Amino acid sequence: MSPARSALDGLGLIWTLAEKDLRIELRSRQAFFTTLFFSFLILMVFNFAFDPASPATRKAAPGILWVALIFPGVIQLNRSFQSEREEGTLLGVLLSPMDRGLIFFGKFLANWIFLLVVDLLTLVIFMAVYNFSLTSATLWMLLLILLSSLGFAAVGTLFGAMVSNLRTREVLLPILLFPIVIPVILAAVNGSTEVLLGEKFRFLFQWIKILVAFDVIFLAASYLVFEYVVEES
Amino acid sequence: MWSKNPDSDRHTIRRYTAWAGWLLAPAYVLGALALYAAFLYAPTERVMGDVQRIFYFHVGSAWNAFLAFLVVFLASIAYLRTGRIKWDQLAVASTEVGVVFTTITLVTGSIWAKPIWFTWWPWGDPRVTTTLVLWLMYVSYLILRSSLPEGDQKYRFCAVLGIVGFINVPIVWMSIRWWRTHHPVVITSSGMNLEARMVHALFISVFAFAALYAALLCLRTSMRLQERLTREMEVEVMAE
Repeated sequence: MSPARSALDGLGLIWTLAEKDLRIELRSRQAFFTTLFFSFLILMVFNFAFDPASPATRKAAPGILWVALIFPGVIQLNRSFQSEREEGTLLGVLLSPMDRGLIFFGKFLANWIFLLVVDLLTLVIFMAVYNFSLTSATLWMLLLILLSSLGFAAVGTLFGAMVSNLRTREVLLPILLFPIVIPVILAAVNGSTEVLLGEKFRFLFQWIKILVAFDVIFLAASYLVFEYVVEES
Repeated sequence: MWSKNPDSDRHTIRRYTAWAGWLLAPAYVLGALALYAAFLYAPTERVMGDVQRIFYFHVGSAWNAFLAFLVVFLASIAYLRTGRIKWDQLAVASTEVGVVFTTITLVTGSIWAKPIWFTWWPWGDPRVTTTLVLWLMYVSYLILRSSLPEGDQKYRFCAVLGIVGFINVPIVWMSIRWWRTHHPVVITSSGMNLEARMVHALFISVFAFAALYAALLCLRTSMRLQERLTREMEVEVMAE
C-alpha cells in the first residue's frame, strides 16, 4: 500500500471512531445539555457575584467567559471514556487491528467537536448577557476558541482515559488537567481581553503563537504516550 | 505485576541503601558549611540587610527542585521503555523530594519578597509564577499516585504525567512571561552584584542541597522498594 493511501485509511478510521462518539451523543444529548447548562449557570453566578453594571466587571468579563468554558468542559472529557469502560466497548476498540495512536485521535476529534459546539453557544449567550456587540473583531474570538479547545481536548482526552475507571475520576480529572492547561487559560483570557474590549492588538498574535505551540506539542505528546494509558494490565 | 526475580530487587535495594549512606555524610557536612557560609562568612548585603541571607537557601532548593523534576522526566521515560519497577520508584521518590524543595523555594521566596518587594506574592516575576505552576503540577502527580490501585497501570499513568508535565514547563514559562509584560511592570529584578564571598556561600548551599537531594532520593527509593519486597513476601507466606 502506498503511504498516501494508508494515511487516507488512517483518517477514515479516525473519523469512524469520532463519528461513533458524536452519534451516541447526538442520540442521547445527555452530556450536551448538562455541559451547556453548567456553562450558563457559571455565567449567571458571576453575574450575581459581581455587579454587572460596573466597568470593573466588564474588564474581567473575558476571564468569566473562559471559566464558563473550561470548567464544564471537564464533564464531557470525563464521559468520553467512562461510557466506553462501562459498556466494555473500549476493549473492542483496542482489539481492532489499528494503531493505538489513531484511537487517540478519534476520541480527541469527537471531544474537540463537542467542545467547539458548546463553546460557540456559550460565547453567544455570554455576549448577550454581558452586552458585547458583534464586530469584525469577534471573528478572532472564533480562532481563539478553536485553538484553545484543541489543546484542552488533546490533554483532556489523554487524562480522561487515565481516570476513567477510578471512583474519584470526577475530582481527579480537573486536578490533573488544570495545572497543565494554565498556558492555554492565560493565552485565551488575555487574547480575548484584547479582542472583546476593543483594544488595539498588541499581544494577540503572541497568544495565538503560544496556543499553536501548546496544541502541536500536546497533540504529538498525547499521541505518543496514549498506548501506555489504554494498555490493559 | 510483581517482578519475577526478588534477588535482583534485593540487590537494587542494597545498592540504593548504600548510596544513601554514602551521600548522607556529605549532605551533613555541606549543610553545616552552608549554614556557616550563609550566616557568618558571607557579608551582610548593604541595601537589603540580613534578610538577603535567605537567598542562599532559596536558590539552593530551587535549582535542585528543577533537577529533581528533570530526573522524574528521565526516569518516567526509562520506565515506559523498560517497564522496570526501579525506574518508577525513582521517579516518584524524585517527585516527593522535588515537591518539598519547591515548597521551600516558594516559602523562602515569599519571606524575602515581603520586606524587599513589599508583597508576599510577586505575581510580576515569571520565575515565581512558573515555580508555582510546577508545584501545582507535581502535587497533582502525587494526588494521582495516591488514588490509583497498586500495579503496573499506576506506574504507567504516573510516568505519562511525569513526561507531559515536564514538557509543559517551557510553554508555561513563555506564557507567563508574556502575561506579565502585558501589565505594567512594577517589579524589576535588577541583577544582584554578588560579592565573591556571596558567590562562595551560594555555591556551597547549592551543593549542600544537591547532596541532600541525592541522599533523600536514594533513601526514599530504597524504602519504597523494601516496602514492595515486604508485601511480596507477605503474599508468599500467605500462599504457603
